[in-house]
Amino acid sequence: MSKSQGSLSGIRVLEFAGEIGNYTGKLFANLGAEVIQIEPIEGNPVRRAAPFYKDIPDKEGSLQFIYQNTGKKGIVLDIEKEQGKEIFLKLAKTADLLLESSPPGYLNKLNLGYDRLSAINPKLVYTSVTGYGQNGPYRDYPWSDITTLAMGGLLYLAAQGDDLPARVPDNQAFMMGAMHAATGSMLALIEAEYSGRGQYLDVSLQECVATALENAIQLYDLEGSIRRGIGHFEAGMGIYPCQDGYVYLVAGIGGNVNLWNTFVDWLIEEKVEGADIFIQDEWKTPQFRRKAEAKQRFNEIFVPFTMKHNKLYLFENGQNRRVTIHPVNNPRDICEDSHIRYRKFMADYFSESLGGQVFMPGAPYRLSQTPWNLGAEPPKLGQHTAEILQEIGYDAKQIQDFMQGGVCFVAQASS
Amino acid sequence: MSHKLPLNGIRVLDFTWVGAGPITTQVLAEYGAEVIKIESGTRLDYLRLLPPFKDGRAGVERSGYFSNRNPNKKGISLNLKHRRALEIIKELIRKSDIICENFTAHTMERWGLGYEDVRKIKPDIIYAGMPLMGSDGPHVNYRGFGVQVSSLIGILHLTGFPEEEPFGMGTNYPDHVPNPMHTAFAILAALRHKKKTGEGQYIELSQIEAPLCVLPTPIMDYMINGRVQNRQGNQHLDFAPHGIYPVQGKNRWIALAVQSEDEWQSLKAAMGMPEWAEKDAFAANAERIANQTELNEIIAHWTVNYAGDDLLRLLIKAKVRAGLVKDARDVLHDPQLNYRRHFVYLDHPEMGYHVYNYSPVHMSKTPAVLDQAAPLLGEHTKQVMKDLLNLDEGMFEEMKKEGVFD
Repeated sequence: MSKSQGSLSGIRVLEFAGEIGNYTGKLFANLGAEVIQIEPIEGNPVRRAAPFYKDIPDKEGSLQFIYQNTGKKGIVLDIEKEQGKEIFLKLAKTADLLLESSPPGYLNKLNLGYDRLSAINPKLVYTSVTGYGQNGPYRDYPWSDITTLAMGGLLYLAAQGDDLPARVPDNQAFMMGAMHAATGSMLALIEAEYSGRGQYLDVSLQECVATALENAIQLYDLEGSIRRGIGHFEAGMGIYPCQDGYVYLVAGIGGNVNLWNTFVDWLIEEKVEGADIFIQDEWKTPQFRRKAEAKQRFNEIFVPFTMKHNKLYLFENGQNRRVTIHPVNNPRDICEDSHIRYRKFMADYFSESLGGQVFMPGAPYRLSQTPWNLGAEPPKLGQHTAEILQEIGYDAKQIQDFMQGGVCFVAQASS
Repeated sequence: MSHKLPLNGIRVLDFTWVGAGPITTQVLAEYGAEVIKIESGTRLDYLRLLPPFKDGRAGVERSGYFSNRNPNKKGISLNLKHRRALEIIKELIRKSDIICENFTAHTMERWGLGYEDVRKIKPDIIYAGMPLMGSDGPHVNYRGFGVQVSSLIGILHLTGFPEEEPFGMGTNYPDHVPNPMHTAFAILAALRHKKKTGEGQYIELSQIEAPLCVLPTPIMDYMINGRVQNRQGNQHLDFAPHGIYPVQGKNRWIALAVQSEDEWQSLKAAMGMPEWAEKDAFAANAERIANQTELNEIIAHWTVNYAGDDLLRLLIKAKVRAGLVKDARDVLHDPQLNYRRHFVYLDHPEMGYHVYNYSPVHMSKTPAVLDQAAPLLGEHTKQVMKDLLNLDEGMFEEMKKEGVFD
């Protein structure tokens, strides 16, 4: 088998999943599946998400849209119109996987639900990703990223004590839904290629979030207590300021004496004033390190040292002595990180239409025989509408009529 | 269980421990793979030593931290320093389809179990390694805990409030979702390729790279626009109001997201069309974004008068995107999650019935099966030796005496 073919070559994915399913489609596209994104006439909402390329708002310039949609084809279709529905059905007949994220019941009402589609294409895997799933008391609740992070219990963890929690960037509830939908769909596709029969997958964002609570559910079930994030739990664990930001140190963690000794050796080697008290046995116990006075004493000795150095120095010098210390990196630090650069993790390409270089995170994994591939630039709005309609049997005249009737949108040939 | 599962007949030799690895193989185990977890009594999966413990009493067989990510697996314990243990592993490799490990880079190679060694005895193996920093580069041997992955990749810097210290998500998110789910997806893609072509392969996942793939925007904004994003509380770049507002009670909040003009009208209606909402400062989305600090304060004065459940009902009825900030107890008792049977209680010899999360993917034909609590240390050693290696009782006892199993 040639190396140029991805592991998912031959799989056709129809992606009609707005802001939730984009990343699912990307995972498939970058491993060689043919992914056709169906956008509504007004375009995928992610096209309107800030920030934009060179900060110029444009339907082809949303950084999120660009990132999530390389290697895909794009067709713009109004599936609420009769002819739009007919096109959707014809496309579904050619597909192995349909990804959708409409409110529960919406596609059924249009007579485009699983039963209809599986009747015309029995091998189809039909994956729905919604806020709360297709049944239950919250089925019809409107959702967004922050509300499902909240209802699934993850947001509560993002603070300590009585503090207000804060949301992580880049719509992680949607990302979790996208990752679970991808893995679930892949399982169902493997099964369908064997049995010839697809199935229906119902993915709830709230449930995806609820699986990401580390040990919080078990802590309540087994010990009856409720946890939040952990901050300065004990001396030698947590965020400490340094010359140009912060570092995260894990030297004190429970009964692990090795970590503590390694750390103390480093401080002594660095001639940190007062560090020799850390050799005393009491400092090797979490009970002592958790005391307020221990935390204060620790800061008085450690922070004057960290404030003399930048995070990169503390990171590399500490790690070279086997101390688990890390920089609290900002986006610039990440992009300039020598390790990330060495591994050529970032991907880039030149975009003629945007008039410059586009940079983005690259492969999440490396497959030795079937490499990951960024693929072509993301589709411009309606770029492949005509090509795909022709493939399923419509002629130029019909396509023109569809366009005039608002059934589809066809991008003008290259501008 | 009666229905066939997608991975029935697939055997996984699971060397993973602690975080991201065991969650990866759990996905495979729920969907029918036979997952054989290799442990060692002298070098435990250290989640066994971390709370929560059944009734708060510590014990190697009592940790819910360990159990929730290891159901449905068979547990065998081997003394990897013993020559014959290595022979057993090689014999098991010959009978396996997938290997998964998440040790520091090159650890498996030191045991003679790296990909190049393994493919000599099992050419079509799918071998997934998840080294923290990948397999090469200047920091390849650096060590870290889950929270430090979040530190390195910007989650701490980007999550919190701008005027406060970096904070993060309060949990090691990369370990729990991006790393295991990407690895599982790659394994399944490789499995499909193997079914088509007969060819196995090596998969490498760096635990700092895969999670960066779900945090693209701050990186692109820097590389393309030169902007270094900072944490921004609960603001949204595109919409306002958007955030978390207090309701009655200690540590009780409601999340709201208004994403269109219609939704703003809905929120206004839910609030009883207050006069302040008609001010020019809040007239359209752009103004609401510009004046969101003031807007959020006014909304908070309104929400704080309500009990969370009542306010949620009111807002949902008005078609506003809203959700309560639930803690673990709320989540465990949540009507929706329980309607969908998200929590499964499995019996365990020492812990009794205790809770597990069910797969968040509900499949109509091949639903995930979660029916075996996490294994005791070495619970299945004898069975696996007998079933897969044809070791009879006498040989097993002899090897046991020799210290092959620990």
